[in-house]
Amino acid sequence: MSLLQVNNLGKSYNSETQVLKDVNFTVETGEFVSVIGPSGAGKSTLLRCINRMVEINEGKVIFNNSDVGSLKKKDLRKLRTDIGMVFQHYNLVPRLTVIENVLHGRFGYKTTLQGVLGRFSEEEKEQAFFLLQKLGIEEHAYKRCDQLSGGQQQRVGICRALIQDPKLILCDEPIASLDPNSSKVIMDHLKSITNELGITCLVNLHQVEVAQGYSDRIIGLRKGEIVFDGKSALLREEQINHIYGTERRELITV
Amino acid sequence: MEILRGGAQPKQTYIKRTRTGRINIKAGNKVELVTKWTIAMLSVLTIMAFFFFDYTGLQLERAITETAYNLKTMFLEPTLSHFSWGEAFYQIGITVGLGILATVIGAIIALFLAFLAAENLSKPWISKTVRVVVAFIRAVPTVLWVLIFAIAAGLGSEAAVLGMLFHSIAYLVKAFSESFEEVDPGILDAMRATGSNWWHMVTHGVLPSTFTYLLSWTFLRFEINFGVAVAMGAAAGAGGIGFELFMASGFYFDLREVGFITYAILIIAIFLEIVSTQLKNRYFPAATKN
Ligand SMILES: Nc1ncnc2c1ncn2[C@@H]1O[C@H](COP(=O)(O)OP(=O)(O)OP(=O)(O)O)[C@@H](O)[C@H]1O
Ligand SMILES: [Mg+2]
Repeated sequence: MSLLQVNNLGKSYNSETQVLKDVNFTVETGEFVSVIGPSGAGKSTLLRCINRMVEINEGKVIFNNSDVGSLKKKDLRKLRTDIGMVFQHYNLVPRLTVIENVLHGRFGYKTTLQGVLGRFSEEEKEQAFFLLQKLGIEEHAYKRCDQLSGGQQQRVGICRALIQDPKLILCDEPIASLDPNSSKVIMDHLKSITNELGITCLVNLHQVEVAQGYSDRIIGLRKGEIVFDGKSALLREEQINHIYGTERRELITV
Repeated sequence: MEILRGGAQPKQTYIKRTRTGRINIKAGNKVELVTKWTIAMLSVLTIMAFFFFDYTGLQLERAITETAYNLKTMFLEPTLSHFSWGEAFYQIGITVGLGILATVIGAIIALFLAFLAAENLSKPWISKTVRVVVAFIRAVPTVLWVLIFAIAAGLGSEAAVLGMLFHSIAYLVKAFSESFEEVDPGILDAMRATGSNWWHMVTHGVLPSTFTYLLSWTFLRFEINFGVAVAMGAAAGAGGIGFELFMASGFYFDLREVGFITYAILIIAIFLEIVSTQLKNRYFPAATKN
C-alpha cells in the first residue's frame, strides 16, 4: 500500500471555478516529489487537501490507509500529527522564542490542559534541541523568532515539522522568499530528511531547475490538472513548456 | 500576439467611471455611499441646530464675566474646608478602587467573550451574536447602565461597579476581538496543521501575539473608568472623590473646594498615565515599538 493515494480529487472554493480537476497520483514512502506549475494552478490547494486544511469536494485522499476526507475531528488531529507542513512565510509566532515555536509541533500529541499549560517532557525538549542542532541553529534557541533571518526562520519551521515525528512533510514553496544560498541550505536539509530519516517529502516549487535537481519525481500541474507525472530525468523542455503553457518566458534564468 | 488580439476583442472592461467619465479609484460600494450621506446629513443638522436654539435670557457679556470670575476662584484659590487631607486621599482611593475593580473583572470576562467574537477563532453565527449583543450594550452610555442597575441594587457603589463593568466588558470585547482578528492567519494555519486544537492555538499562538495590545486597551479602559467613577460618585452616590465634588459644588457652593478636588483628580489622572506608560515601556517594550 502506498503512503499517499490521491484518487479523482476535485476541489472548488466557489461554484464558478474548479481549482482541482480529477487529480490522481500516489506517493511511496521515502520519495521526494516536487509539484510544479504556474501561479494559480492549484499547487497550494492540492497540498492543503492532503492534510485537510481545506475541505475535499470530490474524490478521495488516502493517507496511511485512512480516508482523509471522512475523518472526524479527533482522528483528523491525529492524522495531522503524521503530516508536517512547511510554509513559504514560515508562519512562526514571532513574539515567541525559537524553542517554543519548535515545541508547538508537539501540540498534536497533547491534551488540552497539557498544551495550554505548556507541559513538555524532557525528552521532547532534548529532541527539539537535537533538531535545532541538526539544522545548525542551536545557538539561536532562546532568541525571539522575529530576530532571525528568513533562512533561519525556515529552518525553525522545518524543526517544528520534524518534531511531530511525521511520515510525510508537505512544503508549500519553502524557498520562494529566500536568496539562492539560503535556498540551497533549505533544499539540502529537506533532501537529507528524506534520505536519512526516510520521511517522505512533497514540495511545491516555482523553480523548475531546483525541482529537477532535488526530486526523484516531478508532478506538473496546469489549471488544476496533472499534465506531467514522472521521473525528474524525463522532464524535458517540451514537457516544461506544456506545463507552463505560453506563460513561461525566458526572461528569468537562474 | 495574444495580448494584441485581446485588445481588439469586444470590450469587457473592469474600469469603473464616475458620471463625468473620470476613472474611479474607490470601489464605490454601498458602505461608502452610506458613510458619505451620513456625514453630509450630520453636518447639515449641526449647522441648522444653531438657528433653532432658544436665545431668550442669554446675556452673553454677563455670562462670560461671571464664568471667568468663578473659574478664577476655583482654580487660583483652591482650599479644603469640609474635609481633611487624609479624608481626601481616602476618597480618591475609593474612586481609583472602583475603577480598578470594574476594569480588572471586565477585562477577564471580556477576554473569553472576545474569543467567541473574533471571526477567525469562532463560528460565524456565534461571533455575529456576540457582536450584536455587545454593540447594543456599548450603545447605551455607562451612566445609564449604572442607573439601570440602581433599580435592582439601589444607588451606591454596587450599582456603579456593575454598570461600569457592563460597559467595560462590551468595550473591551470589541477591542480585544479586533486585535485577535489581526493575528496572521498563517500562524493559525501552521498550528492547526500540527494537530493543535483550538485551546492550544489560542493560548500559544493568539495570546502571545496580541498580549501587548490587550494590555494597552485595558489601561486605556482603566483611564476611562477612573473618569466614570468620579462622575458616578456624583451622579449615583457611589461615594469616593466624585461624591465630595458633588457635595462641594451642589450642596455647599464652595468653589474653592471644587477647585481643590479638580486638581486632585487631575493629578491622579496624570499619575495613572505615567504609571501605565512606564509599565508598558518596562515590561512590554514591543508595544511601543510595533
Ligand atoms: N481560500 C480561497 N478561497 C477562494 N479561492 C481560492 C482560495 N485559495 C485559492 N483560491 C483560488 O484557487 C486557485 C488556485 O490557488 P492556489 O493557491 O492553489 O494556486 P498555486 O498554484 O498555489 O499558486 P501560487 O504558485 O501563486 O502559490 C486560484 O485561482 C485562487 O484564486
Ligand atoms: Mg501557492
